[in-house]
Amino acid sequence: MTKTKWLVLAGLVIVLSVLILIFFRGGDGDKAGPETEPPSPKAPPETAGTRKITLFFLSEDDDFLHPEEREVPVGPSLTDDLETAVVELIKGSAKDLVPPFPPETGVRQIFVTKDGIAYVDLTKEVTENFAYGSSSEMSAVYALVDTLTFNFMDIKKVSLLIEGGERETLGGHIDLSRPLSPQYSLIAK
Amino acid sequence: MSVQDLAGFSRVTLSSTVPLSYSFEKKPSALVISVETKVSLRVQQAAFKSELVKSVGWSRGKDEYAFSIELRRKGFSFEHKSRANPFELMIDLKPAEEPEETAAPIQAAVRAAAGEVPAPSTAFPPAVRPTGAEETKKFRTIVIDPGHGGLETGAKGKFGALEKDVTLAISLKLKDIIEKNLVFRVFLTRDKDTDVSLENRSALANNHKAELFISVHANGSVRKNARGSETYFLSLNSTDEESRRLAYMENTSGLLEGQIEQENQDDVKLILWDLAQSAYLKQSSLLAENIQVGLNELLGTRDRGVKQAPFKVLTGVACPAVLVEIAFISNPEEEKELGSEQFQNNVARAIYLSLIEYFKSYS
Repeated sequence: MTKTKWLVLAGLVIVLSVLILIFFRGGDGDKAGPETEPPSPKAPPETAGTRKITLFFLSEDDDFLHPEEREVPVGPSLTDDLETAVVELIKGSAKDLVPPFPPETGVRQIFVTKDGIAYVDLTKEVTENFAYGSSSEMSAVYALVDTLTFNFMDIKKVSLLIEGGERETLGGHIDLSRPLSPQYSLIAK
Repeated sequence: MSVQDLAGFSRVTLSSTVPLSYSFEKKPSALVISVETKVSLRVQQAAFKSELVKSVGWSRGKDEYAFSIELRRKGFSFEHKSRANPFELMIDLKPAEEPEETAAPIQAAVRAAAGEVPAPSTAFPPAVRPTGAEETKKFRTIVIDPGHGGLETGAKGKFGALEKDVTLAISLKLKDIIEKNLVFRVFLTRDKDTDVSLENRSALANNHKAELFISVHANGSVRKNARGSETYFLSLNSTDEESRRLAYMENTSGLLEGQIEQENQDDVKLILWDLAQSAYLKQSSLLAENIQVGLNELLGTRDRGVKQAPFKVLTGVACPAVLVEIAFISNPEEEKELGSEQFQNNVARAIYLSLIEYFKSYS
């Protein structure tokens, strides 16, 4: 009797901690790896600490990308940290900078290849809710690319997917069919 | 009677208050136009300076005039067209192709290769060999690409102007002014409000062996006060991989036909096709500079300069190619301008004049 009680309790604790984990990581629970990993339910995700990342936003004043630093929790894996960065980027600036993507845009999944290309899969809102011109399209694409390559040494290039598939462009301009290298020249001095 | 140097050719124009019938006699370094007329003509000739035409003379016979156009060099080709009311005969003279053109073999090979790659839409004409160049030169072609179209509206203005409509209106005007004044045929990638894939836009240019490709756009920014004109040419977005391919292409394209085995040729050509534009970046940058200067001078828009970006529509184009952002449709003031007939005419004129400058300098 007490044994089963214990088992139920332990089960509940595990379920609860998984839920907490999912909650803190922005609601995307598709990944097979990390969820089953933590065997000790006592360790909250925060123990990994936080880190400072630099996000690149747009500005009302010029055409450059403007850095904004932010303290974010460190996740269990690189893809988790990448996702945190993209989510924070979409969320927008804490100051009065302009976010590059429509705020409704969601992150479906991120994966990284051996040669350092991050594939960022966004939801359809990234194009549906916005009519891109060359300037806004270029800012959006490179705000994302530069944010990821700038903060994560292992990421050399970034490829954008929408709803799991390849897209030629966001709005008819910048070529998305090949992974994009960062353009640090677009960053404000 | 007037003589005028235009883009890569000289135009002799014979105007008359009465209609004339005429015939040509071609000599090595002269063209004689015989005009039959019962009335006596009073010949007026404007002074001119031309790189090709040395002098123009005339003589009178019985019911006949002979106009002789003497050229500075041997070997030329000419085309003519005429208009009635008032009568005008236009003769366009072009020097014969020089065999020792620097990059010619590579370019010809690239074009030939690109031309043979099956495009998604239309059938390709047979490959151009360097010897067959004469054949294609008969029709010189420019392709103008009105950005967006159909469901794809492009950027939107605050007052409802759509990028796709503005680009089409300007492109139609540009086509008109070029065809009226230059010997080029102009093809548009779309002439109505319809969806055209980016690949088909560049394929159209390659199918027609276009000499230039101009994509017309109106810009959009998240900044309401962003304003001005800018002209882009392609940047390759992943440098190391592309430059390796490019080096490979430059080293092999001249030998394409001879050395690469038949079954491997298709792959090589696909690579060429995919990156066709990389062989023309230098010329594209010069074209971009000319257009940028033209826009700023004539339109008075803010100069945002010549820029490079990996524009999808430019990657597969096998000739000098640029993308022009006329002005910002997202800026309420410029949105109004972009919608006005007069501004659109000015844009067309500005680009047309810069094309003449470009051809003068680089062809």
